[in-house]
Amino acid sequence: MQDRRTLTDIQVNETLTNTVLKTPLLWYVIVAFMGGIVLLGVLAVGLLVNLGQGLNGYNRPVMWAFFLTNMVFWIGISHAGVMLSAILRLAQAEFRRPATRAAEVLTVFALATAGLMPIVHLGRLWRAYWVFPYDFSRGIWPDIRSQAVWDPHAISTYLIGSSLFIFVALIPDLAVLRDRTTGIVHSIYTLLALGWRGTVRQWRLQAIAGIILSALLLPVFVSVHSIVSWDFSMLIGVPSWHTTIFAPYFVIGAVHSGVAGVITVMILMRWLFGWHDYIRREHIDSLGRLLFVVALAWFFFFMLEFMFGLYHQEGTEMVVRELWLFHAPWNAIFVIFILTAFIIPVPLWLFRSVRRSFPLMFFTTILVNIGMWLERFLLIIPGLMRKQPFTFSWGEYAPSVFEIIIITATFALVATMILLFARAFPLIPLGDAKEARVLRDEIRIGRRTVQAVLREE
Amino acid sequence: MANQAVLGLYRTPEAAADAVGNLQQAGVADHDYEIMTGVPYPEGTFGEPPVRHKLYVFPFIGAIIGFTLAVVEGAGTQLAYPMVTGGKPILSIPPIIIISYELTLLGAIVFTVIGIIFESRLPRPALGAYDTRITEGLIGVVCTCSEERVEEVRGLLQRAAAIEVKVGQG
Amino acid sequence: MASEEVARDVLQRTFVKGGRYRQAVIVLAAVFLLGVVGFILKLGQDRTQWGYYAATFSYLFTVAQTAPVVSVAMRLAKNHWRRPLARASELFAVVGLFNLLLFIPLLILLPSIEGRNTIWILGVWPSRFYTPHIFDTLMLVGLVVLGLLFLWTAAVPDFAAARDQRGGQGRYAFLAMGWQGTVRQWRVQRALLGLLGGLYFMDVLTTHFLIASDFSMGLVPGWVDSIYPAFHAITGLQAAVAVTIVTMFLLRTVGGYREYLPMESFWGLSKILLALSLMWFYFWWSAFITFWYGRMPVEQNIVQLIMFGPYRPFFVTAFLFCCIFAIGLLIWNPLRKSPAALAAIATMILVGGFFDRMRLYVSSWSLATTTDHTLTTVPAAIWPQVPDLLVIAGGLAGAVLVYLLATRIVPVMSIWEMKELRLYQVPRQLVRRRMLSLGKPD
Repeated sequence: MQDRRTLTDIQVNETLTNTVLKTPLLWYVIVAFMGGIVLLGVLAVGLLVNLGQGLNGYNRPVMWAFFLTNMVFWIGISHAGVMLSAILRLAQAEFRRPATRAAEVLTVFALATAGLMPIVHLGRLWRAYWVFPYDFSRGIWPDIRSQAVWDPHAISTYLIGSSLFIFVALIPDLAVLRDRTTGIVHSIYTLLALGWRGTVRQWRLQAIAGIILSALLLPVFVSVHSIVSWDFSMLIGVPSWHTTIFAPYFVIGAVHSGVAGVITVMILMRWLFGWHDYIRREHIDSLGRLLFVVALAWFFFFMLEFMFGLYHQEGTEMVVRELWLFHAPWNAIFVIFILTAFIIPVPLWLFRSVRRSFPLMFFTTILVNIGMWLERFLLIIPGLMRKQPFTFSWGEYAPSVFEIIIITATFALVATMILLFARAFPLIPLGDAKEARVLRDEIRIGRRTVQAVLREE
Repeated sequence: MANQAVLGLYRTPEAAADAVGNLQQAGVADHDYEIMTGVPYPEGTFGEPPVRHKLYVFPFIGAIIGFTLAVVEGAGTQLAYPMVTGGKPILSIPPIIIISYELTLLGAIVFTVIGIIFESRLPRPALGAYDTRITEGLIGVVCTCSEERVEEVRGLLQRAAAIEVKVGQG
Repeated sequence: MASEEVARDVLQRTFVKGGRYRQAVIVLAAVFLLGVVGFILKLGQDRTQWGYYAATFSYLFTVAQTAPVVSVAMRLAKNHWRRPLARASELFAVVGLFNLLLFIPLLILLPSIEGRNTIWILGVWPSRFYTPHIFDTLMLVGLVVLGLLFLWTAAVPDFAAARDQRGGQGRYAFLAMGWQGTVRQWRVQRALLGLLGGLYFMDVLTTHFLIASDFSMGLVPGWVDSIYPAFHAITGLQAAVAVTIVTMFLLRTVGGYREYLPMESFWGLSKILLALSLMWFYFWWSAFITFWYGRMPVEQNIVQLIMFGPYRPFFVTAFLFCCIFAIGLLIWNPLRKSPAALAAIATMILVGGFFDRMRLYVSSWSLATTTDHTLTTVPAAIWPQVPDLLVIAGGLAGAVLVYLLATRIVPVMSIWEMKELRLYQVPRQLVRRRMLSLGKPD
């Protein structure tokens, strides 16, 4: 059953630009609060730079910890944009319409935040630029044989590509804002809209552009998280990391957490901005079904990764699995991870009533992301803790308060950036929302009316 | 003689399509009129001819440039500072494949965006014949013609139940 | 064509087969018998000589037993273009019965797990039949049963149509199980298709995991490749889509079903085939780069064994056909819009798929010792002898023969789904443009 009103273009314009032209007071309150947390994070980073990396919990052999976990997590979240926008655009799925821009924006800001993490992790932040092949005055080039050099190439490509994708799709909406504003704001939107008039040619090229860019971004999306996974799996020194499944396992995990993240953001948008006519039950129902399939695929890869640690009964892999299952607090973390990432949410998504409930979908998608953060934590740290073949080299790890503050600040940073974006640009594409009305149809079968969509023959 | 732009505004797609039909029957060339909407309609909805473009060329050019840069970077940096790392050959092909994969796609994406803007005839400094109500749901049909034909074109557009017809510089 | 005419036409084609059908059956039966001869000639040969037989079994499992997943997945996606191809892909489940027969000698030949580091627990009785034999057999038998049940459930309304056309008696009366087409029966059928489809999909993935691990990877000392079962499954899906396209093309050209198989179905599958070809490369590359990067001796030897060493011709052929040429050709819209071109590409993929199975299974079965800790030397290639060629030809011919014989009983076009399409697809006029209104069933 699909529940919706027929809205005029004027109503669509007014409602979807309300974040830009009639910003609610709550927006300012939330931005101020989140901004405060971000400042706290900046302070913590400043202290790390000033007083040294000894302030965090690093200790031999665990030299990659919270920051790298967080990097992988945010890159995972960033995969939602292309998954929803590109794949659903290519599949012509109608339920993508309210989700695409929010997903793309989440991608860009999540990716930017993820890119900050290895820089903070570096310690000597000011040397981060060494990774780019710009100069030979030091007498050395970055070694492209290293997976650590593949990373910035991939992340830069994805960041630039996603940003351009957002801009191209934003042009028609910038024209709407141009037509509804005055003064200096009008001048800015006029500049950004590039003179868009909505001719048939321009709309046709927008559609083709969407398809071409989607087709180009999809391979990038697959490669980015694969390359991030190869940061770990290329290394033979950490046996539990050196496994061939990491690339697709990370990618499907990214899609799992990313799509869940988008659903969370969409439900928040609906509540915060009053977009009840645009983010409807049928959208989260369809996204929930997609998430169910993705979760099953993720679980398949998780089981493959887990089973292959045990298949050949190799000691160095067995010891990590043993840590996961039999030693506190790792077994508690493992149980929380598997419960939140899969066991609680996925069976719930089997039920239509759950998928069509905003509170339940909000709750289950938050659980998924808690679980997926813990999954990355469990992948990285235990392997390092049991890295050496000699047990006297094994170590322990516990995060410091600075790491916890910085991680929390990254969540606040992404939220702040999305809210700032919403202040300047609409988070739901206006053209998409209006196009849905043009293509909507009904078919009468006996006494029943079935919703339909018009497609080109 | 300077060209004039005659803009007709319509409430429904059917009326706009009638206006386009009137222009076509009067022998107005396809490149002399444009339809402007605030929402994308399927191609051919107003009876207009298909859009011709060369957008597909741009991603190929960008891909070739990106690939070339990647091979130069990959092979160049390895040969410029030849050091065996991790037992891998000095000129290792698999890492070059990875770098060229990324930069080829980046080149294709950047050039596609350039192509979209170019083929959409953007940026356009002045909007010309345009009405802000188009983004509020009205459909505009604008015809560029000589001054002698302005009244004829105005009549053709008015006949299709236009709510307003405006004349401006082309 | 009206709904009643669809039923009459399709059933007519099911019951009455032309001369070409009979000729095909005779030729295939003859080739199958030659395969039996080849099998007999191989009896008594060492286990290391049975790689081509294992490759044939694995290939048929990969192609035919994964094919119903195409229907399952498309049903889940609720698109309309899947309807003409649904039954053609579901019918491949019957080939599973034939493949189950081929499986039996492999069970006997599979070496014991004694002396190997493995997750499988040693059994007690009978002495040679430990796990993995039991689990692998259970999963494969389960797959065949689920596939047949899925096919039967999907075909029940069509069996009822055949029953009614034949006066309500005979085998169709049994197969139709009293189907009357009540609202409740349709609901139950839909629920069952969802359940059986989901179970089949999960069983296929699990069976890929078991066959790939136990019948290939587990025989090579030191080969620890967690992506290998997923690679096996993805290449299986690619081959499944390819075989569905080829079947659709043959039905359209030789079978006379042109009117039922529009371009839209080929177009839809072509995009999926392109995606799967890209994933072929991705999964292969993930394994290759991990092994290449670390420079560990055992991993370098494994790369030599299965890719660049004695079986390089097989690998290169598979890589070119399934990956490079497939991607290079499928990105062109004009080729994807031509059923003939698409069928040619799909055939190329099927050929490449077989070479892929040969390089994986012949290489892994060629190792005499399975109990070393690592692979220290790469043995020379075992090239196919005449009995091997006969076995391969006989196996493939037998599979096609079983499929063809099944089409005598099961309509190869899903009549009820084609009729349902007419309810949900209505032409419309949007101002000056002809459009199609596609209904979305809940």
